[in-house]
Amino acid sequence: MNSFIVKGLALAGVLVIGTLVVIKQMHIDLSDPINMITFLGAIAIAALTFGVGAKYMAQMKSDTASGELAEENWDGIGEYKNELPAGWAYSFLGTMIWAVWYFFWGYPLNAYSEIGEYNQEVKNYNKKFEAIHKNASPEVLKEMGESIFLVQCAPCHGETGDGLSGKAQDFSKRFTKEQVLAVIKNGQHKLNFPLGAMPAGMAQGKDAQAVAKYVANGLKGTAPTAWTTCAGCHGTDGKGNGGTAPSLAGYNLPLVKHVLANGKTGIIGHMPAFPGRFTPVQEKALAAYLGTLKQ
Amino acid sequence: MFHWLEKNPFLFAVGVFIVIAFAGLIEILPSFTNAARPIKGLKPYTVLQLAGKEVYKKDNCIACHSQLIRPFKSETDRYGKYSLSGEYAYDRPFLWGSKRTGPDLHRVGNYRTPDWHANHMWNPKSVVPASIMPAYKHQFKNIADLETAYAEAVTVKKVFHTPYGNDIQPSKAAFEKYYKTTALPEALKIAKAMKNKDVLAMVQQGKIPEIVALIAYLERLK
Repeated sequence: MNSFIVKGLALAGVLVIGTLVVIKQMHIDLSDPINMITFLGAIAIAALTFGVGAKYMAQMKSDTASGELAEENWDGIGEYKNELPAGWAYSFLGTMIWAVWYFFWGYPLNAYSEIGEYNQEVKNYNKKFEAIHKNASPEVLKEMGESIFLVQCAPCHGETGDGLSGKAQDFSKRFTKEQVLAVIKNGQHKLNFPLGAMPAGMAQGKDAQAVAKYVANGLKGTAPTAWTTCAGCHGTDGKGNGGTAPSLAGYNLPLVKHVLANGKTGIIGHMPAFPGRFTPVQEKALAAYLGTLKQ
Repeated sequence: MFHWLEKNPFLFAVGVFIVIAFAGLIEILPSFTNAARPIKGLKPYTVLQLAGKEVYKKDNCIACHSQLIRPFKSETDRYGKYSLSGEYAYDRPFLWGSKRTGPDLHRVGNYRTPDWHANHMWNPKSVVPASIMPAYKHQFKNIADLETAYAEAVTVKKVFHTPYGNDIQPSKAAFEKYYKTTALPEALKIAKAMKNKDVLAMVQQGKIPEIVALIAYLERLK
């Protein structure tokens, strides 16, 4: 055996023993797979470095040139005909194949895009969100509705939903008398409910006053005779006939959905539409939260 | 054939630089020009909106508000669709900002009203109790500089071919005509929606306070 190999392996052995001492000193737990892999890696590096190094050092010392000379000759310096190393040749072929893939499929047509990543993130999130909250409990919906309300609605409607003294709709009640009278006088055609537009002037004078008082009072007590006209679309209980007309009794899901999609213009002012801003679950949550605000 | 080039290393280096720079240009420039084109349906700012943009700059809204919604879910949930570069085609300069002490304003026109802005600029705490934004009451008294804004419109029309109509012409008479027939009615519409009697009276007298111009600008941010 060549003395270089012996020396190299001896040095590698010293390094391995050194590693073992460190392991012992620092109480490193080798039953942990990560530690074990790191330790084996250290041994492999030590053995390969000194083994391979020593082998070539020895070869340089004892080897003599041999083989068939190529025809080219540069001022007396010749070159042996060497076979291309197989690993090198296969890697080269591999990169050529990879380049074709990369040029035609990998890069230009399937490039990374920030918007693509965003779309994917939103899609995955919404899917997960809808799945988790498919059958959300009323408490969860209320909490979710409150946090949406505080970010998106509170700047105009106030943190408690009181409408900031008449600057926006006051959610502690469905209507004031003035609002009902204004809707009866002007009609309402922008909410796009299935039953269609409400014409202006559905009730006059005393009838209108009576209906306004009844609706503003939260539909309590006996209904005035003119209420039958309203009940034709809004339902006898005023709850909007199962979502085909706006509810007059409180803030239910169809009403929240239609106002968010179309905005609302009334005597207070104008509320912009929020189309596509909320998922169905979030709309449900908002309706649930508004329901709890009602006195 | 290229032996002379190899004998002139400096010239060779310049040649290499030109070749590589050219390759870079044809790769980068087309995507830049594409992205800088106005998105479909984008209209240039009206003169009133331009005057509002000047108020926005003058009162340094950019120090606390950004105008750029990044494509992250957390941002689009709060502010709306992410911003596209073509949306800023008529912004000279754009007001992206880099600091959000207050919220982003790039789509504020979608979810606030002139009435809300009027309340908010007069006293921010009256609508957002926890707000740390200062009040900007002087905007209700100061008169907006429509003449400079008009000159800006004339300039960008001439220099950058911003698609303004024939009502934007480089003459004092054209400005006065524009002010009466276009800017004032636009301001009146906003003043009416603001529900502020003093402001409405001012506009009806033919004077446009800064707040009206600013709200016109904020309403345009969609």
